[in-house]
Amino acid sequence: MESMASAAIFYGVAALVLGSALYVVVGKNLVHSAFALVAAFFGVAVFYVYLGADFLAGAQVLIYVGGILTLLLFGVMLTNRIYNLNLRSGAIQVVPGALSAGLVFALLVWIIQSVDWGAMDVGDPGPTSESIGRLLMGDYLLPFEIASVLLLIALMGAAMLVRRRGGSS
Amino acid sequence: MSDALQSLSRFIPELILMGALAVVIVADLITQRRPLKSSTDLLNGITLVGLFAALVTSWQALGTVEAQSLFASMLADDGLLGVFRPIFCLTSIVVLLLGMRSKELEGVRLGEMLALLLTVTAALMWMAGSVNLVMIYLSLETVSVASYLMVGYLSSDRLSNEASLKYILFGAVSTGAMLFGLSLLYGMTGTLDLYGVRAALAEGAFGPGLLFVLILIAAGIGFKIAAAPFHFWCPDVYTGAPTPVTAFLSVGPKAAGFAVLIRFFYLGMAEPAGGGALAPVGGADWQMLLMMLAVITMTLGNVAALLQTNVKRLLAYSSIAHAGTMLMAACVLSVEGVQAIAAYLAIYLFMNLGAFAVVILAHRVTGSFEIDSYAGFWKRSPLLTVAMGIFLFSLMGIPPFAGFLAKWYVFAAVINAGLGWLAVIGVLNAAVAAFYYVKVLRVMVIDQETGPTPALAFSRLDLALLVLLVVPNVLGLLFWGSLDRVTEYSQTLLELG
Repeated sequence: MESMASAAIFYGVAALVLGSALYVVVGKNLVHSAFALVAAFFGVAVFYVYLGADFLAGAQVLIYVGGILTLLLFGVMLTNRIYNLNLRSGAIQVVPGALSAGLVFALLVWIIQSVDWGAMDVGDPGPTSESIGRLLMGDYLLPFEIASVLLLIALMGAAMLVRRRGGSS
Repeated sequence: MSDALQSLSRFIPELILMGALAVVIVADLITQRRPLKSSTDLLNGITLVGLFAALVTSWQALGTVEAQSLFASMLADDGLLGVFRPIFCLTSIVVLLLGMRSKELEGVRLGEMLALLLTVTAALMWMAGSVNLVMIYLSLETVSVASYLMVGYLSSDRLSNEASLKYILFGAVSTGAMLFGLSLLYGMTGTLDLYGVRAALAEGAFGPGLLFVLILIAAGIGFKIAAAPFHFWCPDVYTGAPTPVTAFLSVGPKAAGFAVLIRFFYLGMAEPAGGGALAPVGGADWQMLLMMLAVITMTLGNVAALLQTNVKRLLAYSSIAHAGTMLMAACVLSVEGVQAIAAYLAIYLFMNLGAFAVVILAHRVTGSFEIDSYAGFWKRSPLLTVAMGIFLFSLMGIPPFAGFLAKWYVFAAVINAGLGWLAVIGVLNAAVAAFYYVKVLRVMVIDQETGPTPALAFSRLDLALLVLLVVPNVLGLLFWGSLDRVTEYSQTLLELG
């Protein structure tokens, strides 16, 4: 009974993610699309919970739903020339796009079916943040540091683009 | 932790670059109010010193052949990284000198550009050393983000902005595909370590599913080396970017892309089969995949280059064609192929950057990148025309210039591996390439100029730059055989782990 309920929630969330992700792509109004993206990101966080990745689920909510999306919405809604902007997006080349998306989908389904993924039963999920922290400061120290270099230049680049625009005009 | 501290002693060129990056950022802030000229000179000087120190230390590191894994098997400091480090440092030094003489970058604050150049040089080294899927992705992404910013540096220039946007869109899609492929590969093998991936693949046959994964990953690598059909960004980005940045993109990321290609396929997807040869593991015939990529890339690059009237666009397609030639060497599946790619890249660095140097110097007087504007160049500056001739003949692969040696290594490796038909396609392509290189020279020497022709004036820096780039091309054949030492280094490629 419990597993039935669990499966029902899973498929419900999956439908939510797929539906809202589809709306993000085909929706014509940018603000509506951004709100649909909130739902999609939130659903993905639920998947992480299902996989026993508590830290990742929390990070997903904090960073994607809380940070990036709020920023995106602020950006869209607080732009002072909002009434002059055309906040609509259209779709071009629907048929080739749908065909190639369908082809990729079929290929992925076939791969997921045919490959032996070596899945194991890890038992009851426990808290993961401690081991993630140890890995980041241990084996994955170098990627951790390189990520900070990447963020540094991304920050610098963002400042560079904004300042130049403001300065020259 | 002690492992990390120990690794630092084999990490000195990268540390120097990161130190120089910090100094450049601070110096840029301090000199913000000073006149542009003095602040730019100071920043250029700091960057040059940093790059030169990195070049010297990486050259010294080349002497220690003994391979070692760094930072808990994130990087491998072996012969391959040893050969690529000096290539990256030299490329960045030449690009920095080109940037000082470029008309497009005059009167522009260069602080961020120099910081990006230092970051990207270190990131290229990380790419070339990566033996872990996370590291491959992260270093590739760092190079990409820095490249997008460098391409769009001239924010008042519409072409530069457009190029940057196109680059980001194509980059996002191809790195997305690559990331998806890497995650599937992780799911199949249960490890991120390339040695572990090889061990897991050797145990079972994954067949066509693995091939699909490899195609996804090849899309990410193909984007970096500008191989067809992942090359669509290349002509527009090369045309729109400031020319020194174009010169950088045509050598640096391409070289690092090949390093990742060698690491990923030769280390993660193949096992030694005796006598320096390799055999694919996991039941996926990726040799065929690479051969198809090589043939398409070469042919498309050369044929499209025939139609170009803009010299930057022409060099873009020519760089695609050269990537195809190097991909041919990657199909060889032996240490000889690694050697051929490394040798080709070392020579390609001088001939391609040389051609871009001439383009930048010519732009100072003509103000144009159209091939037609080179009419009558022979009379205006015999020196520059001769230099361009040397670079183009070298790119064609005509003896006695170094380009011949590069082509020789590739074709010898391909023929020794029994891929005669591939070599035939390669030779046909080299013949096609001769047409468009000669076309440029014909315009420079034979065509008559129309209108006024201001004379060319060289600064001492220009002459030094030309000498630096011409000499290796002319004396290249003296190094015949010395590049065999690359083999010595690259054999240590598979000893780790």
